[in-house]
Amino acid sequence: MRTNTNQQKSLAESAAEIPLLDIDRLTVRFGGLTAVSELDLEVKKGSIVSLIGPNGAGKTTAFNTISGIYEPSVGTVRFQGRRLEREMTASTVWGIVIIGLITGLFVATAAVDVDRLWLAVVKRGVATGQPFVIKDVFSRLRGYFRAELAIDQFSGKWRVVSADGAEVLAIKRTREEAQSLRNSLQAAVTARRAGPGTVPDSSDLVKSAEATPGIKSEVLDRLAAGKVRIRRRGWIGLFTGTLLGMTGALAVWRRGRRSPEVVARAGIARTFQNIRLFSNMTVLENVLIGLDRTIGGGIVGMLFRTPDNRRREREANAKALESLEFVGLASQANRLACQLAYGDQRRLEIARAISTGAQLVLLDEPAAGMNPSETIELANLVQRIRQRGITVLLIEHHMNIVMRISDRVAVLDYGIKICEGSPTEVKNNPKVIEAYLGSDATT
Amino acid sequence: MSNSGELSQRQQAWVLIKDHWDVSALLVLAIAPLGVPALGGALGGQFTTLFIYSILALGLNVMVGYTGLVHLGIAAFFGIGAYVTGILTVPMYPFQIGFLGAAIASIVVAAGIGLALGAPTLRLRGDYLAIVTLGFGEVVKVTLRNLEQITGGMKGLNPVPPPGAGVKLGGLDVGLSFAIDPRWFYYLSLGILAIVVIAMRRLENSRLGRAWMAVREDELAATAMGISATRVKLSAFAMSSAIAGLAGSLYAASLSTTADPNAYDFNRSIMVLCAVILGGLGSIPGTLLGVGILVGFDTVLAPWADSWIQQLDINPTGSSMLSFSGWRLAIFGVALVLVMRLRPEGLVPSRRVAAELHREEEHAAITKGF
Repeated sequence: MRTNTNQQKSLAESAAEIPLLDIDRLTVRFGGLTAVSELDLEVKKGSIVSLIGPNGAGKTTAFNTISGIYEPSVGTVRFQGRRLEREMTASTVWGIVIIGLITGLFVATAAVDVDRLWLAVVKRGVATGQPFVIKDVFSRLRGYFRAELAIDQFSGKWRVVSADGAEVLAIKRTREEAQSLRNSLQAAVTARRAGPGTVPDSSDLVKSAEATPGIKSEVLDRLAAGKVRIRRRGWIGLFTGTLLGMTGALAVWRRGRRSPEVVARAGIARTFQNIRLFSNMTVLENVLIGLDRTIGGGIVGMLFRTPDNRRREREANAKALESLEFVGLASQANRLACQLAYGDQRRLEIARAISTGAQLVLLDEPAAGMNPSETIELANLVQRIRQRGITVLLIEHHMNIVMRISDRVAVLDYGIKICEGSPTEVKNNPKVIEAYLGSDATT
Repeated sequence: MSNSGELSQRQQAWVLIKDHWDVSALLVLAIAPLGVPALGGALGGQFTTLFIYSILALGLNVMVGYTGLVHLGIAAFFGIGAYVTGILTVPMYPFQIGFLGAAIASIVVAAGIGLALGAPTLRLRGDYLAIVTLGFGEVVKVTLRNLEQITGGMKGLNPVPPPGAGVKLGGLDVGLSFAIDPRWFYYLSLGILAIVVIAMRRLENSRLGRAWMAVREDELAATAMGISATRVKLSAFAMSSAIAGLAGSLYAASLSTTADPNAYDFNRSIMVLCAVILGGLGSIPGTLLGVGILVGFDTVLAPWADSWIQQLDINPTGSSMLSFSGWRLAIFGVALVLVMRLRPEGLVPSRRVAAELHREEEHAAITKGF
């Protein structure tokens, strides 16, 4: 019994040892300017950690890097021991390959001249009165890619034409005549493609074709070369198109690897220093956006308002109202976000952030612009957030809040962490006093 | 006292109509052909055009109004819908699958092409996206013109058979009825418009619609809440294109030709965009009103005014200064400038904003009355 509790305790301890958020030697540079330099910070689960410092110390830059808006120049940010990047899964690879193939097919279609292809496959079938069945379509398609001669009907006459319809070789009165001439000419073209002497059986056909008046040997030569040209165009188009499409898809995927969306989905939500609400949407809708991922359901459900869809929406509404209740905005649910008072807008941002189901919430100066009584309310709110099991990382200038609710405080100055510890340690640290009030060495 | 009571009753009636504007408008339009015999003639055809443009504008509204992405090439998707329907139904080609199948195919193809355009341009915003969509519109127009074997070049594809060609319902040849009586098309396009309006309202108040608006309001904040801006924008692209494709399909069937590719050029895109902005971005009744005014002006009012002036017999020399059509574009331009100057949010601003404004107004009026 005793060992069991010990084991549990040690497990709990080891779990506590992996910090929820682990920032390791984080450096962020913008051109020549270093905004954050070699920042190390650990946030333990269930704690409230404050990041303080004078203006321009790089606090918001650190937040933006954690939430995936900026890319770290050096260093890593780990959440629950994982780097917050989209992994390359099998479906990503398939997606890239499929996008590549679609692009390739598109380019190949353009390269083989889709207009002529349509003429050969669809229109010629209609003109000669053949039924539109799959087998015939495929044989005509094959004929086009092999640049075989075809027969075509035009104003009552039957014509022998090249596959793409660009060259008319002969005009005959009946279909049978045209067909037999086409066969002999095709044999001549095939013989030329294979080289002299390789198709002995059709030699007499070849002779008869070449004896046909009006058909020059150069024309047959050109037709013989056509097969190679059209196929080469198709393959080159397919190859370059696929390559291009895959490269593009890969590049887009790489750039979106560490986006705010990936970070948010992993369980980090944030508020913004300059409030970024969806101002022309209602208060309730703002929170519903935070809940968006948990609602689920497809577009068909939305269009037909299926019972399943209604249930999901109802549940989401209830959850959103619960979040609003938590921050004390439930009575304002149907107002537009832009009509709220400043302090209420800040609290709405917090409600929106916690409704995402995040385990870590980054609050960027939540008390900015609030009066003293609102500030005290906010401090209580942050503590209640912690009671819900959500870890809080806070940037704040109101020292009474920071000192009252924080478990740990880190002080940044010019992008460098100058001090970290409990509120009392930080308060009495001479470096911190110097950063805030200036050094007295000059006096 | 009784006066104020009457006023509030009248107000109540007004609020009732305003809340159910869609049902009232639909009823009026549905009953209209019974009372107005002219709708059985050329006027009916003009109203059909109006309904089709309304569908197109509602499609554009998804992108420009809800999602806030500027789209200057919506006519391209309108054209794609028309040509897909043409290819799949004209007697020249062996497919001839009928209107219903062709309409569905138009929707699917237009949505697919919309996705193909959207995917590489997702990162573009504002002016840049506008330029890309503008260019795409021109590319489609020129492609339709140059693929002569497929699209018939400048001749277009015709005749596109009317819906239900060859279908007989109890001795009634549906295709023939469509061909000779404009009221059939009037009701068909009105019905499809009603369906699109219902679909748009449902989407507006669902997860997808909210996500569109969130991306419009603040893309960064939306992504920081776990919304995939990529997917949301792509869905807007696809939805917009799909509805435009549907409108195009209906257009080709109602004209019984795909018309030539120049019918799907930049002018048409801009006109629909103007209608959406004039009516109020992101507002369904606003969009419909905008189309009613802009397209109605062109297709209904201008011909009517011209014939009226001709009847007055004040223009014996046929001077263009004395015909309404000669002033058409000038009036159009001045009206646009005035509306944008005096009411930049559009004639009927987005439902939410309108509701919010009017609730306060009504509240004030009622308290004043007592």
